[in-house]
Amino acid sequence: MTVDTHPPASARTRRLTHFRPDQLAWLALALTLAVLIIAPLSMLVVKSFTDGTTGGFTLENYVTAYGRARHVQALWNTLVMGLASTVLAVLLAVPTAWACTRTNMPGRTFVRIALFGSFLMPPYLTGVGWILLAGPNAGFINQAWTALTGLEAPLVDIFTFSGLVLVMGLSTFFTIFILVSAAFELLSTEMEDAANILGAGVFRTAFKITLPMAMPTILGSALLTFLVSIALYGVPALISIPARYPVVVIQLAEFFSFPVRIEVAAAYSIPLLGITIGLLLLQRRVLGRKGYTAVGGKGGERRVTDLGAWKWAVFGYVMLVVLLAVAMPLLVLIMAAFSHSWVSGLSLENLTLEHFRYVLFEHSSSQRALITSVATGAAAATLAISLALSISYVVQRRLLPHAGVLAFLCMSPFVIPGIVLAIGFYAVYALPPVGLYGTYIILILAFTTRFLPIAYTTSTNGVRAINPEMEEAVRILGGGQFTAIRKVVAPLLKRTLASGWILIFVPAAQELSTAVFLVGPHTRVVSVVLLDMSEEGTFERLAALGSVLLLIIATIVLIGVKLLGRDFMLRRS
Amino acid sequence: MTLIQRLMPATGLAVLGLLLPASILQAQDLTATEAALYEAAQSENGVTWYTSQLTTEQAEQVCALFSERYEGVGCFPVRANGSSTLQRVVQEIQAGAVQGDVVSTNGVSDFEEFKSLGGLAQYRPENLSGMEPSLAALNDSDGYYFVSGTSPFGFVYNTEIVAPEDVPTSWNDLTDPRWRDQIAIAHPGFSGSAGQWAIAMDRLYGEAFFQGLAANDPQIGRSIADGYTLVTTGERSLTVTSLALGRDAMRDGKPVDLVVPEEGMFLPPSAAAVLADAPNPNSARLFAEFLASAEFSEWLASMGRNPLRTDVSTPEGVPDLTEVNVITVSVAESLENQQRVVEMFRDIFGI
Repeated sequence: MTVDTHPPASARTRRLTHFRPDQLAWLALALTLAVLIIAPLSMLVVKSFTDGTTGGFTLENYVTAYGRARHVQALWNTLVMGLASTVLAVLLAVPTAWACTRTNMPGRTFVRIALFGSFLMPPYLTGVGWILLAGPNAGFINQAWTALTGLEAPLVDIFTFSGLVLVMGLSTFFTIFILVSAAFELLSTEMEDAANILGAGVFRTAFKITLPMAMPTILGSALLTFLVSIALYGVPALISIPARYPVVVIQLAEFFSFPVRIEVAAAYSIPLLGITIGLLLLQRRVLGRKGYTAVGGKGGERRVTDLGAWKWAVFGYVMLVVLLAVAMPLLVLIMAAFSHSWVSGLSLENLTLEHFRYVLFEHSSSQRALITSVATGAAAATLAISLALSISYVVQRRLLPHAGVLAFLCMSPFVIPGIVLAIGFYAVYALPPVGLYGTYIILILAFTTRFLPIAYTTSTNGVRAINPEMEEAVRILGGGQFTAIRKVVAPLLKRTLASGWILIFVPAAQELSTAVFLVGPHTRVVSVVLLDMSEEGTFERLAALGSVLLLIIATIVLIGVKLLGRDFMLRRS
Repeated sequence: MTLIQRLMPATGLAVLGLLLPASILQAQDLTATEAALYEAAQSENGVTWYTSQLTTEQAEQVCALFSERYEGVGCFPVRANGSSTLQRVVQEIQAGAVQGDVVSTNGVSDFEEFKSLGGLAQYRPENLSGMEPSLAALNDSDGYYFVSGTSPFGFVYNTEIVAPEDVPTSWNDLTDPRWRDQIAIAHPGFSGSAGQWAIAMDRLYGEAFFQGLAANDPQIGRSIADGYTLVTTGERSLTVTSLALGRDAMRDGKPVDLVVPEEGMFLPPSAAAVLADAPNPNSARLFAEFLASAEFSEWLASMGRNPLRTDVSTPEGVPDLTEVNVITVSVAESLENQQRVVEMFRDIFGI
């Protein structure tokens, strides 16, 4: 009977064979990206125009989302905060990158390694560290200030706009540091020498020559930092509520509370998406018009600049960055983790392991959360890098038509704030008929999507570096495309793969913004558990659990670094 | 039971002989309903309990007691603030992917929301028969949810910072400028009980109360447990929180004391319900029975909290709720005002 109602099997096979294998491959990759990116995003747009109760078309969600002055204010505040923290991040990162790559400042390697700590440290832990340091009354800095001066008024207050910007800047500057360092390292010294010969001093040369040549990278990475900071959830959750400085992500969380209005949340997040896309287009247009051919030029001599006596001043500034971003917050976190009560400071009778015992053995969800974080992070990193590598190979070797579309899609999550991505993912995959809510799969898929651009950039760099002649040699000798991939491409890409994997694993294992709406009761990740702990104010336990997560991630990264060589991300290969 | 297992090889039959009657007694303790549910729960995966009613640590203690009483039935608390818990449960109900079994929060109106979404199972625990009548009156008349705790609110202050003569006496003292930069409160939009408290304050003193409070620049947290920690650490000196949390801190030797404002302590009842599509329906109902049982009320009393049942006496030093002034917010009042008051709060405080 079934045979009668369906077209003959042979006809179907014939139709299928109309697709060549490469077309099928393209289709498979495109489908994967559609699942990961297109579906959640289009659902977000559709939801924003959908009436929550009737399911019909409406503009009401936009009216609700933007009809109140406070909600518009939150959007404006977000932009102001994003801009201020980006400026701060640039001020922290660029001089440090310059000092570490172009000068003879002492301790350059130490600084690079220390700053790597800020890559490992998730923003919400930096935030907690700074709450312990600069809480207006009990914070260590203010305790010390009161003890020293006898003044009751606090010296610093983290629960203010400037506190928020400080923690944001400190949590995000590392991206600029790494990218700008790489750009600086590629610049040859010839132009700096020319400036020197013409009488320019060290700093004049830096400002007139070195800095302008790296400007596209600086602007690009600053833009990236801006986008990251406007979409970050953890730091505002900790600081902007007490600081009474509403931002978009907090407002989005409000739409998820009584009464839950996903449609309004979708409508509210569309402008964020618009801003991101607009800025990236703007960047493309601005940079597209000018030639910056000096960057990327190989050859030429690269020497470090002798700073003379100034090197200690520069060293002082760079050490300040290290202290603020890594050393101080990390130190207070570790202290809190080992203290009965963090406010009592360092003393023998205040020393305890009880919080570690609690989070490792007694707390109902942290043990499981540690495993979930590491496992979902690892799975997402593996998936993202495999997918990105296939696509970048296809794109670079022009194996398939319309490969550019795939490349564009791969990079597009870059413009989607994590929390917005989560809402889209929730709308498509959490609800029936898919019903992935509370599974590990939805977390892994969301993390994979979120970090796909990093994976794609790394893979593309790797594939680009391999001359196709080697693969052609395999083909000439009679090997197929797959033999070429297996015998030539894969071995050459090992390093790229591994470093890309680490670059994704670290943020994925700590991801909060995407996870916060997607975790189920049994799939809670550490970041979410930490956030819940933070609202109870149990900072000692939070610090203990945070330290354990940091330790695990650092160990995995160290193993990676051992295998790859120390320079895998600190220096361009 | 694990204790028995641990002791058995060391001390032999004598100890077993001593402990055995106790365990038999425990088994006999079970009502017929409990026994049937316990039996059926054996093949399930334990109970997942969404709660904002207690702190994480307390929720874990309750779960441990439950699993001790009903050996073999696991209990997994997922503690978050009221608004996160509400969000999670509504998400699950709407998604048709319910993963929690039991939910309890401090916002009774949350349960009306769950109920209207068809997310609650109609289950009135048998053990509710022993409930203190004044509390039993607050149980849902349709049998979808019931009172699972009370956490009377008052002030908790830091005794190292606040002099005895400065201790506040009225809720309205929060608007007194001398408390500028000293107060910690929870955001009514995030904390369920703070939401209820805000409705009560609005009824007592209206918008002026919130304006005065805002002028004092309180530190706003996401949970009442946060404000309490801020006061015990000395970050702030005065907070609106559960008096029981304050008693806990005093017991731990922290420099705090409590005060009940003259208008009366604010009493947000906590409620609990079994979710309609609970993946572990029998464990869920067993846990509901447990929350209504004497054992849970005894635990509440041991923690310096008001028990729910008439057969458990109120602990020393804790005011009997039937004898003191209390301010309550009815479900109807809450449903009518919650959104408006939270919006007003947000507009005044700008967050």
